[in-house]
Amino acid sequence: MAAAALEERRWREPEDEAAADWAWSWGAGTDGQLGNGGFDDHHLPQPLLLPTRCRGRVSFVAGGGAHAIALTSDGEVFTWGRGTHGQLGHGNLDNIPHPKLVKFLENHTITCVSAGWNHSGFATDSGQLFMCGDGSFGQLGTGDNLSRNFPFEVAYFNGRYIEKLAFGMRHSLVLLKDNSVYGFGSARRGQVGKCVSRNQKTDNVPKLIDGFPNCKIVNIYANGDHSAAVDESGHLYIWGRPLIGEDDDDQPRRILPSLSVSQVALGWHHALVLSAGELYTLGVYRHQKCDLPGSGNVLVQQSNTRATSSSHDRSSSLSMLETVPFIDGEHVVQIASGTEHSALVTDKGSVFTWGWGEHGQLGLGDTSDHVAPQRVDIGDNGQRMSGSLAVYCGSGFTVAVKLP
Amino acid sequence: MSAYDEVEIEDMEWNAELKAYTYPCPCGDLFQITLDDLRLGEEIARCPSCSLFLTVVYNAEDFADAKEPTTQKPSPSPVAVA
Ligand SMILES: [Zn+2]
Repeated sequence: MAAAALEERRWREPEDEAAADWAWSWGAGTDGQLGNGGFDDHHLPQPLLLPTRCRGRVSFVAGGGAHAIALTSDGEVFTWGRGTHGQLGHGNLDNIPHPKLVKFLENHTITCVSAGWNHSGFATDSGQLFMCGDGSFGQLGTGDNLSRNFPFEVAYFNGRYIEKLAFGMRHSLVLLKDNSVYGFGSARRGQVGKCVSRNQKTDNVPKLIDGFPNCKIVNIYANGDHSAAVDESGHLYIWGRPLIGEDDDDQPRRILPSLSVSQVALGWHHALVLSAGELYTLGVYRHQKCDLPGSGNVLVQQSNTRATSSSHDRSSSLSMLETVPFIDGEHVVQIASGTEHSALVTDKGSVFTWGWGEHGQLGLGDTSDHVAPQRVDIGDNGQRMSGSLAVYCGSGFTVAVKLP
Repeated sequence: MSAYDEVEIEDMEWNAELKAYTYPCPCGDLFQITLDDLRLGEEIARCPSCSLFLTVVYNAEDFADAKEPTTQKPSPSPVAVA
């Protein structure tokens, strides 16, 4: 349609042509979360319209329910997608289909970001945390349940240096450089740790999460109602809604004691765990409770999926731990997870995706589901970009960015 | 097909614009169930954007002649620059 084409052109900025070969997105797009100038789903990688000056400088992309945040190596942040709760931080509630610099934070150097379902967080190099978006579950940590459409400083963390942020659907986790982990927001499933009262549903004030015995936490993770942390020895702790079984847990528990975990990616019902070069899935993709199309069943047979032996491990959860089948000669270097799909990058610079594909979030040109990782052609004319890509997921979409 | 998930009504949010209780759908949109549906004893919340649906757990008697909730979520408010 001519009008749509015009609309698309209007959003483009003059310097955007060069974005074609270094940043891409695909999947659900109706809120503008693909950042490609439009409001449509795309089943194949599209150019993500980050300004050319960001080329090779994008250090992280956080994907939320239908919005995303890109962080550059010199501390600038861009947001795009759904803005209905102020989560883009531009002072309004507009959906924006292209990355836009968060002006409010222009005079700050941002070091880490995270995106929840409808909320966003930005930590600075000077020990400040700014939050915006939906605050109705207390997930902004501001001591109230108000939403904010400009980044709002959480006074509690002023002067306390933040190492990592990890936001789930309705909750937020903060890892400080002093090794403490804080949580706030929805407490319904134990995802922000123990509450004073058992019936407490939300906690809008940051609260220390206890239960990491004499260890240095190096990373935290959140998605859906799940929370996780990894310490410097590769020990994995999880709490919140269970990935396996029925019981919520408000206490971090160490799981998979036989693994030395280097990376984790959480979905809404599954987790990816990378350990000694092997990739495992914990839990199940819920969409697969639906009838899989025929092609999916064929893949199950081809994929040589095997359940990991539980004989060497005391954890009963291991019976639900599966090795992700993979291609000989390529090694997994980075993993990411949406709500119901997963992505990885290999040392050869290839991107693979699998899981739920209804919105094209696998980037394979159709809407099929896949149980085994499939190679994505990101349209770089078949050029191998050895080890130089990073992949990130929002709920129903995926982003890939070329590294320097 | 089976339900994507099971959610208690108290974990859903009333959306005055959609006139429905909503819950996040993994596709990025919202599962929705209207007050009329609840009055009729319907247990399925559907997402307008995808094939997934939720089972809603609630007490039918609570909704037999329920009125639209008046408590609205606080809207995003502009905040002065510190
Ligand atoms: Zn949906």
